[in-house]
Amino acid sequence: MKEGWLQRLQNEVAQAWAVAVKDVKVYYLRPGMIMFGFLMPFFMFFSFSVRREMAAAQGVARLLALTVFFTAAAAGPFIIPLERRLGTYDRLLAAPMSLLTLLLGKAAVGAFFAIGVSAVALIVGVVAFGAPIAHPGLLTAGLLVGSFSFSALGLIFGSIPTRNPGDVQMPSTLLRWGLLFISGVFIPLEEMAPAARAVAYLSPLTYAQDLMNHAVLGAGLLTPWLDLLVLLGSGLLFLLPAVLMHRRSRRLGY
Amino acid sequence: MDNAIEVSGLTKYYGDLLAVDHISFEVRRGEIFGFLGPNGAGKTTTQRMLTTLLEPTEGRIIIHGHDLARDPYPVKRQMGLVPEESNVYTELTAWENLMFTAILYRVPRSERAARARELLETFGLWEKRDVKVENFSKGMRRRLSIAMAIIHKPTLLFLDEPTPGLDAQSARVIRDLIRRLNAEGTTIFLTTHQIEEANLLCDRVAIIDHGRIAAIDTPERLKAAFRRVQSVEVALEPDGQAHGPALEALPGVTTTVKMGDKWRLYTEDPSTLLPRVVRYAEEHGLRVVSLNTLGPSLEDVFLEITGQQVGVVRHETEAGGGKQRGRGMRRRQ
Repeated sequence: MKEGWLQRLQNEVAQAWAVAVKDVKVYYLRPGMIMFGFLMPFFMFFSFSVRREMAAAQGVARLLALTVFFTAAAAGPFIIPLERRLGTYDRLLAAPMSLLTLLLGKAAVGAFFAIGVSAVALIVGVVAFGAPIAHPGLLTAGLLVGSFSFSALGLIFGSIPTRNPGDVQMPSTLLRWGLLFISGVFIPLEEMAPAARAVAYLSPLTYAQDLMNHAVLGAGLLTPWLDLLVLLGSGLLFLLPAVLMHRRSRRLGY
Repeated sequence: MDNAIEVSGLTKYYGDLLAVDHISFEVRRGEIFGFLGPNGAGKTTTQRMLTTLLEPTEGRIIIHGHDLARDPYPVKRQMGLVPEESNVYTELTAWENLMFTAILYRVPRSERAARARELLETFGLWEKRDVKVENFSKGMRRRLSIAMAIIHKPTLLFLDEPTPGLDAQSARVIRDLIRRLNAEGTTIFLTTHQIEEANLLCDRVAIIDHGRIAAIDTPERLKAAFRRVQSVEVALEPDGQAHGPALEALPGVTTTVKMGDKWRLYTEDPSTLLPRVVRYAEEHGLRVVSLNTLGPSLEDVFLEITGQQVGVVRHETEAGGGKQRGRGMRRRQ
């Protein structure tokens, strides 16, 4: 029986959701995920923020940008090669759903983790340190869009044809650290030299940090709509190499 | 439309290495089709292409009338896959594994629980439904893996080496299930190197070697085509084990293989060899405990076709062929 496009769309959404929920259940306690996804942003935050004069709100904005970035981008490079090694990825690839559905499901996993960890950071910041939130709606939108964008970034590395998560961790960590250090997270954009600021604009994390500044502090350098647009656009753009590399994997037999 | 699968000119290169070489065959609806071959001959590569997991370099695959390259979606909905390794989620319970697969294959919500219960009961896993799969034995994981592959009632089921490593009871349960599914109308594509399993289960078999189909027919017709590998099996006492070399020297014997307490003497003419064996026993004061003539087994046929001498274990040492990529690989011309 041939199904209509609406039914097909409903099916694909349900399948992507099922993949995401399953991954959350299966991987949230895996050591690789805990280390690279849940603890790393806090390590980075405390490494570069202790003993510096910083208001609670400023700290919360920075920590939220870091958690969204590190946690969301950690899921893909860890989960997909591991599933390839265990053979469970074949189950997903053989199922009646499109590759894009599978990738969106995988992107949702990273986003779920990132939103969860960010929520913890936010609650601690607000309750324990009394940090005010200037624009809760913008904060919600920023967490959602930022999580999706950086999770899609992680999918690029997860799509590398390999069955060993270790092969992916090094290039993925290298890129994430590169994007972190050129961004405006540790040195505010307004304090950067023009050349450094131009480079900072190449990192999507710059826009996430600016968006968090708007949402938490009530002020940023760029307009929040531009930040959201860039994050959404870069997330969609990151899906393209992930699709292409999955096609290559299918030719190579991974 | 009588064919479940139609394959024509299917070819797979890994870089310059040729793994599957322009193979063509059909699998009829409702049959159990065995796909036999030595390790690395191209079996799993072929199966992965048939199940959309691997893109062919050349060739065409039609499944249930749909071109797999152009229209894989309806095919995937009708297809079940049991890979060689039981790819179940060990952190989830048996029930959660089945529910997840049911959603993936869009089993209607109202039917999921009943279908999962039916399968868990069939496979003897109902009592363990809430136990995490990491606590399951290999046989239990295998059964769950098969249950997950058929939860959506596929009309075409691919099984890759379903029984190796299982105890005899688990292997029998799985073979019985394959027969039952087939009796209910499911076409089975069985990839195996267990020849006796193919002999027991399959309506037709294809033998692949060096990436090419070397033979394709019913097991009995294949055996009939290889009458030259008939044999005489004899058990002698006392000390029958010591007489192998002398038995091999009898006229008409091509190869001798020790089979437990017996000797199997391969010959093209068992009726002439039989009295010679009896005479040999008499001359040496031996008692004939048992004496049988045997037609070729499917294993004999397989070994003949794949160029391995009957009864002799040959090590696979082809240059450049790693375990995964195979015995039969050749470089691009």
